[in-house]
Amino acid sequence: MSDLHWLTVAEAAELLRGKKLSPVEYTRALIARIERHDGRLNAFLRFTPEIALEDAKRAETEIGRGQWRGPLHGIPYGLKDIIDYAGLPTTAHSKILADNVAAIDAHVAAKLKAAGGVFMGKLSTHEFAIGGPSFDLPWPPARNPWNRDHFCGGSSSGSGAATAAGFLPAAIGTDTGGSVRNPASMCGVTGMKPTYGVVSRRGVIALAYSLDHIGPLTRTVRDNALMLDLMAGHDPLDPGSVPHAPGGYAAGLDRGVKGLKVGVIRHFYQRDMKADPEMAAGIEAAVAKLAGLGAEVREIQAAPLGDYLACNRTLLTSEAFAMHEKWMRERPQDYGALARERIMAGAFVRAADYVNATRLRRKMADAFHASLAEIDVAVTASSMDPPCRIDDPQAVEHTYGRQARAVFNITGSPALAVPVGFSKAGLPLAMQIVGKPFSEALVYRVANAYEQATRWVERHPSFEAVSA
Amino acid sequence: MAEDNLTLEEVRKMAAGIGLNHLTDEHLQQLLRATRAARARRTHLPLSSLDPADEPAHVFSLAAGEDR
Repeated sequence: MSDLHWLTVAEAAELLRGKKLSPVEYTRALIARIERHDGRLNAFLRFTPEIALEDAKRAETEIGRGQWRGPLHGIPYGLKDIIDYAGLPTTAHSKILADNVAAIDAHVAAKLKAAGGVFMGKLSTHEFAIGGPSFDLPWPPARNPWNRDHFCGGSSSGSGAATAAGFLPAAIGTDTGGSVRNPASMCGVTGMKPTYGVVSRRGVIALAYSLDHIGPLTRTVRDNALMLDLMAGHDPLDPGSVPHAPGGYAAGLDRGVKGLKVGVIRHFYQRDMKADPEMAAGIEAAVAKLAGLGAEVREIQAAPLGDYLACNRTLLTSEAFAMHEKWMRERPQDYGALARERIMAGAFVRAADYVNATRLRRKMADAFHASLAEIDVAVTASSMDPPCRIDDPQAVEHTYGRQARAVFNITGSPALAVPVGFSKAGLPLAMQIVGKPFSEALVYRVANAYEQATRWVERHPSFEAVSA
Repeated sequence: MAEDNLTLEEVRKMAAGIGLNHLTDEHLQQLLRATRAARARRTHLPLSSLDPADEPAHVFSLAAGEDR
């Protein structure tokens, strides 16, 4: 069987369940691909083929006995290296935690293990999910599979790169100001930040407690919904975990968008922060496509983008510095420059400003949810620009904050980044589809209709074309 | 202290005041930039929209029936 590396989770699951594909054969194919290409992409911080083959052999035995566990059984996946996997270091891509071996699995890792997934390793991140792309850390930054000279987004950089590169059909990332959706957007894959509290944060190194979300990156919408179904669920040991996530995220995917009301938040990318023309055109074409599929499209207004971004950064840097203060006192030299500067931004935020930001957060979230009352989903930009060169720190700094993702860490809403085409330079373009709290199923339904109508997901990066 | 005029020496004292005693000059330059940026960001918070009754969005809550 050729091109095993481009199988989706859903396709592979069908083959594995029907015993037309061996988990070991599948895993070996992806191991070979990673060994051949990851030296140029650095998606993996810690590649664990020995664990993967053990998992694959176990899956093969169980499926052979008729004990199919579900859609991830026998399928490779990876974890961003701020997520604990028992027995392996969780480094956060930092010298600070280079020897930090996890004693037990994160809640989400345990769920994916129980689902029979094949663990392939830990994936590159920005240092502590905030400092990157950096060249002064113990491990190199991940690169964009569409052009390795370009930034692959972050902070779940390896998760985006590995998925786009055909190293893995699914990877797990985290998102505090957009860090699942940024690499998804830059790498041309699908990334979900679910509603706050749907996926447990236990066993995941915090960046900012009140803004952190865990989410899947996949090449298709269906796979993303399947993964979220496996990841979601109440965890009494995570104080932010909701008692009952609805689940059933993949159940209504094929119902189309006819009659659904789609609100477009244009002012984010047309007025508040003017998007690159190619990005704006890609989003507008996607909106037109949804209208052509029968959605009722109307423009809606939210608070100015800058209000959400200021609120997000005030909360994020304050909470991050609170967690890092001890290390900043004792080991400041062990951080990379980007993480150190970005985290230190929280050192002197006044307590009153932090409290007021939390008050604004509630107010802005309530207002945003009210603005969705008469629509089903909203659509807006993810990044304002296509991926810039990774070796151009000024361009990275300029484009990094030009985004509309942090809005939905403030509101807690589900937000999905999906590809909407490619720039003239062949780099991915993307938009976000956003829902009311706990309406992930509807977000996926809209995204799936768009994906089926455009088939951007059938385009893959060519490693023969990337520079050596 | 004028926020735009925050100096390296001032930030050095502020850092010492919270126990950040191992920062090099390069680190202090970073802290200066980061603090200036954070202070500039404060002006973008729409604080005038807040009413005294607007409550913080805290995560913490007690389970129903739990004794206080």
